[in-house]
Amino acid sequence: MSTRNPATLAATTARHVFLIIVSIAFVFPLVWILVSSFTPSGELTADPLSVLPSEATIEHYRTVIVDLGFLTNLRNSVLISLASTAITIVLATLAAHGVVRFFPRVGRRLTRILIATYMFPPILLAVPYATIMIQLNLINTYASLILAYLSFTLPYAIWMLVGFYRTVPLEIEESAAVDGATKLRIFLKISTPIVAPGIAATAVYTFINCFNEFLYALLFISSTERMPVAVALYSITGAEVLDWGAMMAASALVVVPSVVFFMAIQKYIAGGLTEGAGK
Amino acid sequence: MTASIAHTRKPRADGPAPRRRTLKGLWSRLAKADKVGLAFVLPSMVAVVGLLIYPVLSSVYYSLTDQSLLRRDHELVWLDNFQTLITNADFWSAFVTSIRWTAGSIVGQLLLGLLLALCLDKVRRFSGLYRVLLIVPWAFPPIVIGFGWQWILDDVYGFLPNLLTSLGITAENVSPLANPDTVFWTVLAINIWFGAPLFMVNILAALKTIPREQYEAALMDGANAWQQFSFITLRHIRNVIGLLVILRIIWVFNNFELLFLLTGGGPGDMTTTLPIFAYRTGWGLHQLGMASAITVLLLVFLLLMARIAFAALNYWEREDS
Repeated sequence: MSTRNPATLAATTARHVFLIIVSIAFVFPLVWILVSSFTPSGELTADPLSVLPSEATIEHYRTVIVDLGFLTNLRNSVLISLASTAITIVLATLAAHGVVRFFPRVGRRLTRILIATYMFPPILLAVPYATIMIQLNLINTYASLILAYLSFTLPYAIWMLVGFYRTVPLEIEESAAVDGATKLRIFLKISTPIVAPGIAATAVYTFINCFNEFLYALLFISSTERMPVAVALYSITGAEVLDWGAMMAASALVVVPSVVFFMAIQKYIAGGLTEGAGK
Repeated sequence: MTASIAHTRKPRADGPAPRRRTLKGLWSRLAKADKVGLAFVLPSMVAVVGLLIYPVLSSVYYSLTDQSLLRRDHELVWLDNFQTLITNADFWSAFVTSIRWTAGSIVGQLLLGLLLALCLDKVRRFSGLYRVLLIVPWAFPPIVIGFGWQWILDDVYGFLPNLLTSLGITAENVSPLANPDTVFWTVLAINIWFGAPLFMVNILAALKTIPREQYEAALMDGANAWQQFSFITLRHIRNVIGLLVILRIIWVFNNFELLFLLTGGGPGDMTTTLPIFAYRTGWGLHQLGMASAITVLLLVFLLLMARIAFAALNYWEREDS
């Protein structure tokens, strides 16, 4: 802006002040969790208002990893989330390409149907899933969670990927078809590489959602060996005296990767939604 | 850098296709459909039917039975579960809490998200930094929201109660999550903290697609700031806002984890929403049939609301074109 009068200056300042205050409020819990996780137990309980500890310690991380075997739970979460993500991406890329190229008319209606599956409360599916898992003897297995997770990852992934595959120019695929490429080859070698960044974003989002899931994990897994991190963390609260330092160290181990991933992919999630609404 | 993608509406050459909603019509369409295309789509469709449609239907069936978590067999009791529910005060209390929790959360998230997006859209310096900082809450897993906030609000060691006491605002440390008078507003504030970034990011993306010339033209016509906002800005972003509100209503209404991990539905049943009520009935009291009935009512209510909301969205779309 070339002309700076006092009114616009005041407005700009007001915007900055508002943004700074909200930014601090939004980031505070993350900062506080990190600070607490490095604060010695004695100081945590001595003065709750001291912002910075006199010395940083990793005792809480040691407790979490060595005493509580948190790495096993982390491994469980990673394995379950990786498997769910892989299955979701394979099925959803096929479906999204298929819808866009072969059934474009259905596409619009399909988007609405997929949004509708958003309406199914997880607790609604939890009841039949619980009985199915009991009948199939899948309680306490990774498979139970991988299956249950597909119920929410698949519709969302298809929805996002339909938006990405729509951006692939038809001409490129047609010229490949003229050159004699099969439909599967066009999918694998032409359109999928073009939307690869979108697929990566979808995969990361799917992974995080599975990693963070709590309800199904709580209901289907009771053995400590098989527990994903969310339920493992929850089960610690059953202890007599809650070790807040350890809780915050474990929380930091879970929240920091999520925050980093989310920052990396947030623009894709936003783009998909506005595109869908613009139609 | 703007993420704006201009959408050009393709003219429909062929007009609306004749609708064949009969099963026979569906079969003939499937028979004529591209076989390779079907192979692409079919695995997902099978998964969606098996993982979503079938369980929902079996939920409806269970809601008509007295299925228990502890027995395998069950008897059909038809509408008894529903009859019990509509005469149960706890059910209605959870219903009202659900409505309050959803309405309060969505209004708060939308207003804060909109305000942040409008500010961010106008600000040039540090806008990248703000964006990154302001989406942080959205990346929090529910479990960490639960324990992180419990820690900050803990009545003995928590930062906030101690701060309030030392500032003289409260006489003694109380966790706002344990106090029946404040618990609802506290979980509401936490949910607004958690959900506002999603509104912000999406509204911001929509704001970036508004052609600047429209503002210049309005300025020449002497439109004031409010008129510019309501006639140009709001008109361009209302579809995005509409869709966001629908999706978030559904999500917040259905949400189980956040409240379960923050308060467990308590103190008492101050924050018991329908999903938590269903969980308590199913896994606390082992009454899976009754829990199914609650979740089926939940779904019916949501379908009804979505029907109304989508009608509004369609109306706006027609008006725009």
